[in-house]
Amino acid sequence: MHKTRKHLLLSAAAAAFVAVASYAPRADAQEIQLTGPLAGAPAVRKLRLYREGRIDIEPSVSFTLLDEYRRTIIPGATLQYNVTDYLGVGVWGGYGVISLATDLTDQIDSTAARNSRTAPNVNHSGTDAASFAKGPSFADQTAKLTYFIAPQAQFAPFRGKLAIFQKFFVDTDLYVHGGLILVGVQERGSCGFEGKPACTDPKSFALESRTAVAPTFGLGLSFYTSNLLSFRLEYRAFPFSWNRPGFDQRGSGNNAKAPDNKVDGEDQTFKFNQMITLGVGISLPGQPKTSD
Amino acid sequence: MAQGKKGGKPATTPAAGAAAGGDIEIDDPNSQPGQPGAADPGAGGGGICDIDPSVCSKPADVAAAAKKTVHAEIYAVQQIYALRYHRFEVQPYWAFSLNDQFVSHNGPGLGINYYITNVLAVGINGNLYSGFNVDSDFNFQNRRATRVAVPLNEYQWGANLNFTYVPMYGKFAGFGDFIFHYDAYVVGGVGAISTRPIPVIDPDNRNFPYKPKIAFNAGLGLRIFFNRWFAADLELRDYIYNEQLESLSIGRTQKEQQDQSTWYGGNSLTNNVAAQLGVTIFFPFSWEYRLPK
Repeated sequence: MHKTRKHLLLSAAAAAFVAVASYAPRADAQEIQLTGPLAGAPAVRKLRLYREGRIDIEPSVSFTLLDEYRRTIIPGATLQYNVTDYLGVGVWGGYGVISLATDLTDQIDSTAARNSRTAPNVNHSGTDAASFAKGPSFADQTAKLTYFIAPQAQFAPFRGKLAIFQKFFVDTDLYVHGGLILVGVQERGSCGFEGKPACTDPKSFALESRTAVAPTFGLGLSFYTSNLLSFRLEYRAFPFSWNRPGFDQRGSGNNAKAPDNKVDGEDQTFKFNQMITLGVGISLPGQPKTSD
Repeated sequence: MAQGKKGGKPATTPAAGAAAGGDIEIDDPNSQPGQPGAADPGAGGGGICDIDPSVCSKPADVAAAAKKTVHAEIYAVQQIYALRYHRFEVQPYWAFSLNDQFVSHNGPGLGINYYITNVLAVGINGNLYSGFNVDSDFNFQNRRATRVAVPLNEYQWGANLNFTYVPMYGKFAGFGDFIFHYDAYVVGGVGAISTRPIPVIDPDNRNFPYKPKIAFNAGLGLRIFFNRWFAADLELRDYIYNEQLESLSIGRTQKEQQDQSTWYGGNSLTNNVAAQLGVTIFFPFSWEYRLPK
């Protein structure tokens, strides 16, 4: 049934394509002149080289995206030296100063039952099955991202300008970046092992710190409003596994996908972590070079 | 439109007349008006002006030309690389869900636009979601761990009538060596989206049919041209509609549980933000500029 519908849609799309193509009147193209005084000339002359040989200092603020239990707002900065106009090396760092619970976290906190079934996964104030009751906020057991350090390289192959209504122009470049990232993670510590509290014990919900190492990559736009100042809009991905809700969710059963009354590294699940960054760049020295 | 106006060249200088003496010396480089040996335009004296007086300027013409207002204007972009005026645009794309961590609504789509002017188009687009909705694994993990269920919804299709406005265009240099052209546009419109709740509160009894809802949309797009009729296209589009959610309560009796009127809960204004990545093909493939470069 689905296949038939898809075939019909594809057929309709193909028919529309052919109809539009056959309607198109013949027209003559203007070809690019390959001879004359501009033949062999460079594509751009007197290009302001905003990057080459300059140091960028860029205070920024980043916002994590598609968060399940917590959103993080990260003030930070980038320090970068641009070896050429295309290639720079540097480091981005930041700290998750603001960590906000999502609506899902608030809903779980207000509605989740506190009983023997949820005791390993939702913190409570009880000491035995008869006295389970709402304890600390559910948000307190969810993992937090703290510090970020990302040594990285930045590659800016595309350079041009944006024009709006033919009135406002701003020099712009498009870049990609990649490197390694060290992320400070506070997540629920291990429990259910010898020497560790049982996972139903309220003490087992305490957060412990670790450092996650992950690849990081993304792309961004720089808008050069003057020789000294620029604005940046950047997307960054930094995928790694972590136990965001603090649940016992894996460790037994088929493919170890069922709970095992223990919380450890197996309960960390993969997340394609993402953030968006807004920054103000200061480039030194204040006067950029220009190309021939 | 840059080529919609005339370029601003100053008025042309009067052509040199014929040399004195009756011989026609049109190509004589030393034959300049006002110089000895050069003919005074309109003064007669033989040459081409005697043969055809209409081709020679008169003193009165030179004075009139000097008073003429000159539009010495250079346009930011002359002969726009990829004209859109009266062309069709076919946009196949793949949509990625950006703001729904519970159920992602990816899927193929197709847009067709017709440019009424060089910057304004009217068109339609459609999305196919059926078979491509992905219920995130963490929904199940969360339900099992906390016994709290989040109402979920899946999509079947979407169709929209849109207007597109292209206020920005220009070019980028790649490695300072080659140039490619781009434009950026805003798009908005109205249409319908067919959705239904995924039964998670009472999956034993509930089976929801798809229902179309009115959906508004707004977005931003960037097109990068590989040639004059083929481009890569990246668009961010927000489809806004009123979603009907599954009821969080379950009837006490089996009769109540199977009563469809008890299945639906509240409504929620929903933003489905999608990144639509695809290509654009313009028809006809080429055209003729009205004015020279």
